Amino acid sequence: MNLEQLKKLKEKAQRQVALREGNKKYRVVVSMGTSGIAAGARDVMKTMLEEIEKRRLDDVEVRVAGELGLEDIEPVVRVEETDGEKTTYARLDAEKTRRIVAEHLEQGKKVDGLAIGKEKNPA
Amino acid sequence: MFEELSLHILDIAMNSMTAGARTVQITVIEDTRRDTLTILIRDDGRGMDAPTLQRVSTTATTTKRSRRKPIGLGLAFLRQTAEMCAGRFQIQSAANAGTTVTASMQRSHVDRPPLGDLNATILTLCAADPAVDVQLHYRSDGQQFDFSSKKHAEQTPARRSRIHSER
Repeated sequence: MNLEQLKKLKEKAQRQVALREGNKKYRVVVSMGTSGIAAGARDVMKTMLEEIEKRRLDDVEVRVAGELGLEDIEPVVRVEETDGEKTTYARLDAEKTRRIVAEHLEQGKKVDGLAIGKEKNPA
Repeated sequence: MFEELSLHILDIAMNSMTAGARTVQITVIEDTRRDTLTILIRDDGRGMDAPTLQRVSTTATTTKRSRRKPIGLGLAFLRQTAEMCAGRFQIQSAANAGTTVTASMQRSHVDRPPLGDLNATILTLCAADPAVDVQLHYRSDGQQFDFSSKKHAEQTPARRSRIHSER
């Protein structure tokens, strides 16, 4: 921990504020309860924000949730789309998170190998 | 268990968010002379009444109604870490009066986890709810650093508009 690092935080936080405003095509929900944090959800979140910023994806907002009831397969991320489609990704790490951003959020293709369960479409 | 103190901080501060806090104040004080490291997480959320406070202090508890089995280990984890490191754990709260969690440790204790990536913790909290003022107050032997997400957003409107125009 040093002060230099902390000062960089100010700049970074500001850029990432832009990611969380307005009505976006994709809403990414990161499970950030105790079990998620213990399994590495914070790093997933960090990677997610960095990748979205790097790729300048304007149509994505990132949120957090408490325990989603998926404690044994954390870290868990849910991608919700404006048409109601929801995809849940589990057992994530930084590398898998980068794939989700590159394939799902940028190109609109689900990452089949990482998604769990059946997608729900309430429409 | 968490390997970094900053993960404990994230976990406790997430409780504050869930409790409807508008301000979450995180204070970290390192004192090498007295050999202590103290963490305070104070929020203005809905707080807890005496029976609830009693319960969270002693057992694993969750307030989530949808839960069938109690998970709620966050506070217990922090207490364990503090007590393992010759420190103390305290939680103060009252209904509608916010909650303050304090954990102190012997800074040089062999079991004391590193502070870890505090930046990532603050960023995650900022992203968790843009409407909440996330504050960090860091003190270390006369050095200090203060951050407030609300103040920060107010101070830099020019920068924000530039980001939008870059699209």
